[in-house]
Amino acid sequence: MAQAMTSVVLQVHGLHAGYDKRVVLSGVDLDIARGEWLALLGPNASGKTTLLHCVAGMLVPSAGSICICGHSLRREAMSAKRHLGFGCAPERLPSLLTGRQCLEVYAAAKGLAAIDAGVLALAEEFAFTDMLDGFVDAYSLGTKQKLAVLLALLGEPALVVLDEAFNGLDPASALVLKKHLRARADAGRCAVLLATHALDVVERYSSRAALLLGGRIARQWSADELAALRAMPGEGLEAALAAAAAGS
Amino acid sequence: MEVSQPGSLPANMARRLARRPHLAAQLLRWRNAYRLGRLRWIVAAALSVTGALALLATPPAAPVLEWLAASPLVTLAISACFFGMSAVQRQERIRSDAATSWLAALPVPGSSILRLVLGAVLRLLPVTIFVGLAWVIGAAAPPAALRLELVTAAGAVLGTAVGIPLSGGGARAAGWHYATVRRARPRWATAPSLAPLSYWPVAQGRIFSRPSASRVVLLAMLAVPAGRTDPGQVALAVAAGCITVFTLVALSTAAARAAGDAARWLAPTTIRMRAFIGAYLWRAAVKQAAVLAVVLLLACAVDDPRALRVGSAIAAAYLAISCALVATACARACRRVGLGAAGRS
Repeated sequence: MAQAMTSVVLQVHGLHAGYDKRVVLSGVDLDIARGEWLALLGPNASGKTTLLHCVAGMLVPSAGSICICGHSLRREAMSAKRHLGFGCAPERLPSLLTGRQCLEVYAAAKGLAAIDAGVLALAEEFAFTDMLDGFVDAYSLGTKQKLAVLLALLGEPALVVLDEAFNGLDPASALVLKKHLRARADAGRCAVLLATHALDVVERYSSRAALLLGGRIARQWSADELAALRAMPGEGLEAALAAAAAGS
Repeated sequence: MEVSQPGSLPANMARRLARRPHLAAQLLRWRNAYRLGRLRWIVAAALSVTGALALLATPPAAPVLEWLAASPLVTLAISACFFGMSAVQRQERIRSDAATSWLAALPVPGSSILRLVLGAVLRLLPVTIFVGLAWVIGAAAPPAALRLELVTAAGAVLGTAVGIPLSGGGARAAGWHYATVRRARPRWATAPSLAPLSYWPVAQGRIFSRPSASRVVLLAMLAVPAGRTDPGQVALAVAAGCITVFTLVALSTAAARAAGDAARWLAPTTIRMRAFIGAYLWRAAVKQAAVLAVVLLLACAVDDPRALRVGSAIAAAYLAISCALVATACARACRRVGLGAAGRS
């Protein structure tokens, strides 16, 4: 039991959040253990990005708690963020810095003594190294996405939070990223929280999936259930999602 | 009777603007910005009026306004330079919008002239109100205030008319063309550094004060026999002053504006607020100090101790106020996005 407790990387309990008077999340409960890859599903405007922003500490929830590796994001923000790797939206990257400068600044802001060799190797696999000295403003959407992912993986975070990280990536780079994240999770180096609409990623690579509807987690699928859906001929997860949405 | 839909433009206005979606979109953007933060706008307006009244109540205000009214050529040159540079910038922004806007694919004109004129009018409005306030509280005599209003308006018309053709017809360079990047450090991969963060506000400042805008000032400088006559010397001083003020204000504004983006980007990291503000601000502050130092050096050459004393005081005050404003903008941005555990609850 004690081991299970320590292996929990993210604990979200009774989370309520919104913008001004608009309530977006109303009682989200979620746990992710080390080695897990949780895919967060949900229709547009269901609050996936809001939940990720809360987990990243960028939006303060109106109620509820978030713990990263046992550290409360509210009371021990610095300790919690030390274990966090957040992939920002590509349009939020600093357009007037180069990719190399972004890596330098982000690594320094995370208090790292060096940029991880693993991240540089991934940049090489992404064929991103030649673009390091170009301005982010001149990057394509996919290239920005690669940089956002590399920044998220800096410093060996225990929790990797990604929002639609496969948007704009070419198939080869997307495959590299899927395999990289799966390998990281399998090795117990981190847990992955990915908000996505790409059902193939959910079916083939995720350990669990959760459906966010009406500001709450309406349905969860375990690894076994996902495997069963994958084996089903026809629509599989797509039909299961539609049924869950209709049921809610 | 036409009834406007809630949340839309009045029906008759919408019909007029139907063929000018770029203009309509801009008006709606301003309207929505006002509606979303009505109280903030009212407070900002009240503070601006209070600040203007406080400025006008200071002893040098009346003599300066008097002198400007008595020197229409200088006032005209200042106004023309300011509005000319604004027109160039605005024209470039409109041209950029034409390529990147969500309305870019529509087969309709961009209404660029109308948008330019609207921008000039909106910039002229605060000047008009300021001079009007000076007249109301007696800091400027009615004839002087009227002359100032007319000359400033004439300068606005002249500057806008000159600025539009001077901005050129080609495609606008991307913002990063104005940014510089230092040679990569040999051991960069093993040495993370916050130093490049300081390039961000400086590069943004360069984008705000595009080199093409200074062509207007160059024209003003060449318009009179530079340096040989009294008007020539005045014109040179006015042009140099405009470039300096424009550079400084552009840098301060850019730094304050980009602070939010920088803070949001670094919010998920463990950087402390003070470290962020220091790393972000220092290069912009040094650059401003360097510009002010050059101005003071020129003041030394004039051999007027009073000019140097006043100039030093103004330079120090500007630098302090600019740094304080940018630091405040950074701190607010940090609190908004929870950077350095400074989250808003």
